[in-house]
Amino acid sequence: MKTFNKKVFNVTYSVFAICSCLAFGKLCSYFAPILPSSLYGLITFTLTLHFRLFDADKIKSTVVWCIKHMAVCFVPAGVGIVNHLDLVRQFGLAIVSITFVTTFILLTLVGLIYQRYAVSEE
Amino acid sequence: MLITELLHSHLLSSVVAVTGTIVLFQFVAVLQRKLNAIWLQPMLMSILVLMALLLWQDINFDRYFSNSWLLNALLEPAVVALGFPLYQHLETITKQWKNIVLTLLIGALIAIISSFIITMLIIGDYTIAVALSLKSITTPIAIAIAGQLDGNTAITAFTIILAGFFGALVGPRWLTYIKVKSPKAQGLAIGAASHAIGTATVSNISYEHAAYSSLALIVSAVITAITSPFIITFLASLW
Repeated sequence: MKTFNKKVFNVTYSVFAICSCLAFGKLCSYFAPILPSSLYGLITFTLTLHFRLFDADKIKSTVVWCIKHMAVCFVPAGVGIVNHLDLVRQFGLAIVSITFVTTFILLTLVGLIYQRYAVSEE
Repeated sequence: MLITELLHSHLLSSVVAVTGTIVLFQFVAVLQRKLNAIWLQPMLMSILVLMALLLWQDINFDRYFSNSWLLNALLEPAVVALGFPLYQHLETITKQWKNIVLTLLIGALIAIISSFIITMLIIGDYTIAVALSLKSITTPIAIAIAGQLDGNTAITAFTIILAGFFGALVGPRWLTYIKVKSPKAQGLAIGAASHAIGTATVSNISYEHAAYSSLALIVSAVITAITSPFIITFLASLW
């Protein structure tokens, strides 16, 4: 029972921490609309953990679980491609090819640059 | 009578849409683990199955989207949660921040510029060019920026998955083939190009891969969020 209560407390604590950082992020985004509110929230969350305003040990298990399962939240937006099937039919091959080529350019560049200059420096 | 009313109620439709999406996603995830098949990517497969289902049953996407509001509402808190791995790697960043940030800055700039220019030259559609320019970063941030820049958010989501899938499938082998064998360099490259999908895949190789990949996915997202509005607006003005 004690373990269960502790888990419930940690989940509630984590939800409160994330939501309060997101709320602060929304405030930042309202006054300085440079970044999305979620990104301000991300930075706030990192800083509050770093400066120990929130206890990382209490948050860890909940956040790890959230990150592990967060991909499901992206599914509805991805399904939205059905609204653009004409566009995909028209440019599908071009979109796939450009994505493929530019992803490889990025992979290769970042890998080579970091290995050549940073890893060799170490 | 009550059941008919319930079936038509928004609440029940929401429960069906959200539960159905989660069950399908988890089913594919379990299948992927059991078959040990990388190509059976849960997000990609769930999207394909749901698309087929909507088309087959002639269900309007907007209806499905509004009924799955709960999953959409969780997108923003999910991004905030990514602050935790960033906090965990803060020590690494402070020690090597110059090299990491510089490498990822060059990568992000080239990714945005090359994708935008190639797309405008081949397709010539601004909304698709914006979508493809943002495909290398994590979905919620890319979708938020794409929305701000009048990009096509559906194609953004689709190409993000494609980029993640390409990098996750062939990234480690390709990097080893071109003699990029350092786990740090491999992790950074895959995190920068293939975000969370790539990170999830390389996490199985080593802890160092996972640490650097998640670091790259966060830093690249921040760099892209800050630089892309200016770069895309500038590039669009040239067309």
